[in-house]
Amino acid sequence: MNEQHRQILEMLAEGKITADEAERLIDALEREQPELSPGAAPRPNRRPKYLRVVMVDSSAADDGPSRMNIRIPLQLLRAGVRLTSLIPPQALTRLNAELDKAGVPIDLTELRPQHIEELIEQLDGVNVDIDEPNTKMQVFCE
Amino acid sequence: MIPQLVTVRYRRPGGRWLRLYIPVVPVVVVLSPLLLLVVLAGLVMCRVYRVSPAGALCGTGQLLWALPGTGVEIDDGHTALLISVR
Repeated sequence: MNEQHRQILEMLAEGKITADEAERLIDALEREQPELSPGAAPRPNRRPKYLRVVMVDSSAADDGPSRMNIRIPLQLLRAGVRLTSLIPPQALTRLNAELDKAGVPIDLTELRPQHIEELIEQLDGVNVDIDEPNTKMQVFCE
Repeated sequence: MIPQLVTVRYRRPGGRWLRLYIPVVPVVVVLSPLLLLVVLAGLVMCRVYRVSPAGALCGTGQLLWALPGTGVEIDDGHTALLISVR
């Protein structure tokens, strides 16, 4: 119990305020407490748990707008990328050859699971907002 | 935690909803003989493609464990599909 609470209770005990007034004062104190307590440790940032993709397409006016709302746990993305480490080397070689042929010179054999982990970690801050006359799309973490 | 309940809702062009509530654990228990075959087939595939069976099992398990919370909602005019995993 802090000093302000104690003072309110003392005023109540001395009969200076009624029980209702004491209750209202304590409620008001508790509402203000999170912003006012200067010594309090900062609240830890809530880590996003989901990747959300929201799309609204209103170009097809006859049927009403099309909506898509997908929520993917970030943990699922992590598990998925861990599975990529199981891709057989010969498949990676073939993938590399096809990517090279398509003009994307990426060597997938150099991609380590920890790199993808870091990529997923940084997804926290991703916020894509596309706003076109008929289509709106948002990708964000929550 | 493994998924407990998969909810599938599908709105047909007539506007009627088809709702399916799939309790995962009972379904897995009922289909366990088939799942055993699937696991065996998976192990054979691992041998063929020289993939670590332990790694594959572990990865699949992690994928299943991470599924709760997934939600897909697609609403396209007269039809709609909603899938949620809890």
